Amino acid sequence: MPSPLEALQRRFVSAVAEGDGALAAAVRGGGRLSPAEAVAVYVRGYPARLTEALGETFQVCWRVLGDENFFAACRDYIAGHPSRSHNLSDYGSDFPACLGARPDSVQAPFLEDLARFEWAFKELFHKAPHDGLAAARLAAAAGPASRLRLGSASVLLALNHRVYGIWRRDRADDTPLRPRDWEGAERLLLYKAGSNPVFVRELPVPEHAALSALEKGLPLGEALAAADGLDEAGARTLFAFLAESGLIAAVAP
Amino acid sequence: MRDADGRGLVGVGLRSAHFPRLLGCPRTPVRWFEALSENYMDSEGRPLEVLLKIREDYPVALHGVSLSVGGVEGPRPGYLARLKRLAERAEPFLITDHLCFTGAHASNLHDLLPLPYTEEAVRVVAANVGRAQDALGRTIALENVSSYLTYPESEMAEWEFLTAVARRAGCKILLDVNNIYVSAKNHDFSAEIYIDAVPAKLVAQIHLGGYSDMGTFLFDTHSRAPTQPVWDLYRRAIRRLSGAPVLIEWDEDVPPWETLEAQAVKAAALREEALAQPA
Ligand SMILES: [Fe+2]
Repeated sequence: MPSPLEALQRRFVSAVAEGDGALAAAVRGGGRLSPAEAVAVYVRGYPARLTEALGETFQVCWRVLGDENFFAACRDYIAGHPSRSHNLSDYGSDFPACLGARPDSVQAPFLEDLARFEWAFKELFHKAPHDGLAAARLAAAAGPASRLRLGSASVLLALNHRVYGIWRRDRADDTPLRPRDWEGAERLLLYKAGSNPVFVRELPVPEHAALSALEKGLPLGEALAAADGLDEAGARTLFAFLAESGLIAAVAP
Repeated sequence: MRDADGRGLVGVGLRSAHFPRLLGCPRTPVRWFEALSENYMDSEGRPLEVLLKIREDYPVALHGVSLSVGGVEGPRPGYLARLKRLAERAEPFLITDHLCFTGAHASNLHDLLPLPYTEEAVRVVAANVGRAQDALGRTIALENVSSYLTYPESEMAEWEFLTAVARRAGCKILLDVNNIYVSAKNHDFSAEIYIDAVPAKLVAQIHLGGYSDMGTFLFDTHSRAPTQPVWDLYRRAIRRLSGAPVLIEWDEDVPPWETLEAQAVKAAALREEALAQPA
């Protein structure tokens, strides 16, 4: 048997998260509110807060979808996804997949990828910058057999649509998006370079392959060899970037 | 937090909209900042960097919204450890949260939900405060919340509940004067009796904020400056609670820094004025 307080709290949660009407019989309304109207104050606040959290993380998806479609997506998502975290900013990890399954994605097939980008950006924003190896140390330590560990403040994304340009577009730019704006795969690196701003680098396919191989723990020589189409000049450019960005946090022989 | 101009006790909520301004080290009568714990306890990024920078120059209090101290399941696993880690870095002069519950572990409603004023609720809160204070290694303060409904099973008045909790749990009170006014209007009790009944030695901080009049009830929106009746209650409260730091809370439609600062100046001036009057 739940205690009276336990029973009341369960009823409150079902009223707000599931729309169960039983709570009204157990309360007195404040002001000139009836019990049902008083409960409704709390019921209305719940989707509003979660929608605000989704809107903050998925700002560009919101802009692309417009209020009506974005709020509809939020409504459906919230109905099936209670928040289990103490932090509202953790809410929405499955929202990209939810967007991908909506009819909106027929017209805008890049939505799921755009949402994945926005989620990854938010996650990285809250990560501590890692200490990257200085260029000279990296150059001295790295050989074909050494394993280069990417710093924790970095994430590699392989997306089926080009979304970085859409994300970067000026807010005021309201020219309609066309298939040529999103068609084609995109490989991105999001990272912090020793301090808090988040940087985004568009990666050619071979660079992405090489970095993914490093991320998996392959030695540098094998990682470069696994990157189809990475010629010597490309390898040099990549290495220069690694040295200058501080992306590599450690080198193991 | 006391200084020569007598305004040393007034602080404001730290909001990201004001970060650029504050990082320019402005001359300001604001003497301390309140940071929302959840905005910093999961972030190692820019927000924490700014908080720690501000902390170099000002005292800071940590104010949480997710402890769910009245929740029958107790604080969420891991929550207190994260809060403790943040406290170790930010070294706040006070850690506070709300006298309410916020939902269930499996479904956090992210709201400050009212408790019934019962002996069972006092027991549950006291046990949860005990866990929190043990984990944090310090005393916390709980804030009275605004509410839009009450429960017939309540066995005592809200101020009796608040005081009983603080005594039983061995914690302090964060007295939100705006919330007292909102709930007094909504539930038809005397805000003055409430203010006078709370033991001064239990009050560790005072909040002042703005509500919205929805026509059929008052809604605690923190989206505007305190209204005149709230200032009047504050004047009454501050004479007994003159040692408590005062905070201007403004969370929604956050105004320009100058507007916020002006409210802090007003709170400090009213305090001086009230203390200068003979009892
Ligand atoms: Fe408050």
